[in-house]
Amino acid sequence: MPETRPSRPAADDRLAGLVRNDPVSLRALYTAHFRTVRRFVLANSGTSSDASDVFQEAVTILWVRAREGSLAAGTDPGAFLFSIARNKWLDVVRSSDHRRMTIVHDQRLDMASSEPDDGVEDRIARLKAIYETLDDKCRTVLDRFYFERKDLATIARELGVEEESIRTIKYRCMMKLRAQRAIIRDGKESRP
Amino acid sequence: MNHRMPDRPDFEAIEAYVLDRMSTEERSAFERRMAGDPALRAEMELEREQILAVELGGLRRVLSDLASEEMRRDADPARWSLLKYAAVLALLLCGALWWFLRPSVHERLFAEHFMADPGLPVAMSATHDPVFADAMVSYKEGNYVEARARWARLLQKEPLNDTLRYFTASTFLAEGDTKSAIPMLEPLAASGTSAFAPKARWYLFLAYVRTGAVDRALALPVEEDPLRGDQARAIKHELNAQ
Repeated sequence: MPETRPSRPAADDRLAGLVRNDPVSLRALYTAHFRTVRRFVLANSGTSSDASDVFQEAVTILWVRAREGSLAAGTDPGAFLFSIARNKWLDVVRSSDHRRMTIVHDQRLDMASSEPDDGVEDRIARLKAIYETLDDKCRTVLDRFYFERKDLATIARELGVEEESIRTIKYRCMMKLRAQRAIIRDGKESRP
Repeated sequence: MNHRMPDRPDFEAIEAYVLDRMSTEERSAFERRMAGDPALRAEMELEREQILAVELGGLRRVLSDLASEEMRRDADPARWSLLKYAAVLALLLCGALWWFLRPSVHERLFAEHFMADPGLPVAMSATHDPVFADAMVSYKEGNYVEARARWARLLQKEPLNDTLRYFTASTFLAEGDTKSAIPMLEPLAASGTSAFAPKARWYLFLAYVRTGAVDRALALPVEEDPLRGDQARAIKHELNAQ
């Protein structure tokens, strides 16, 4: 009897691709799930730009959770993204600035949110703040090495410098980042 | 706890551990070191978080690029349709012929000034027509055929409804089907009562420009439009100069 192949492998592949920052998997996630979110946001007084914002936040949370290994087993990325984006948009709609908006009923609204409130958004905000302290030169090198996962020789070739220079720049940028983090942290700690 | 900065060999050893680039033996040895050295473990956690921050920055850049691509497609669906059309024609080796036969000045003026109507805000509730609102969502998504089909059903019940007629015409324009839009826009543009009359006049004007109906375009009083008067005058000036 032949084995049936459910759609899980495709979802698992996308999550695995997301974890290793694979651009093809990221594009596939975007293409497969953005329009569902956009339709929900457009149907609830939002714009395409609003949909784009909440979708990007949802992908970021999915990425952090996948990297931390804190996604529930068998998580469907599409359902996860829709759930997060929907809740984010409903928060906007219910905020004081948008009280006059009304919400269209969608059966997916009845789904209980499976996203635990364990401070993931605070962690993301902290990571963003850390990244913001980097200058463009450091971003260029560190982004290619850590996010795009290129080797030093490739980055050196792309930027027209020696491999050893890239290695030094990478180390100095990470130490600069470390020092900036200490300043941010100490500043926060010294606040009354 | 403010540790001393690691030197480069230490930094790279930690990096190799975080990025999972150590052999099994190296990894075990490193973990044994961390077990007896809390400062090293803390340094590893710090570096892991910094790397995560850099990766998150990269992720946000890629997502932003993908969103921009999507926005560009939304912002100019007519141009995307034309591009796809041109690509097919090119494949059929008819592109060049098509290009030379086009009224290029008129096409250029249309392309420069046409921007599809963004649609009405949708806030579905019991007091709104859900079929209309659902079609409006399709329209905003660029699903013009679907939007038109839904509005067509409503138009059968209310054939003179100016909102339905205006947005049905807008679907044709957004698809690049100017000729189908013109007969729907003409009565709206001439209406003395419809709230859509000024916008209908503007889009009818552009439709006439695109199809080369210059006399009709020049006869429309679009330069009186407070929002688009300057654009209209510039287009008319160029048409008159031909």
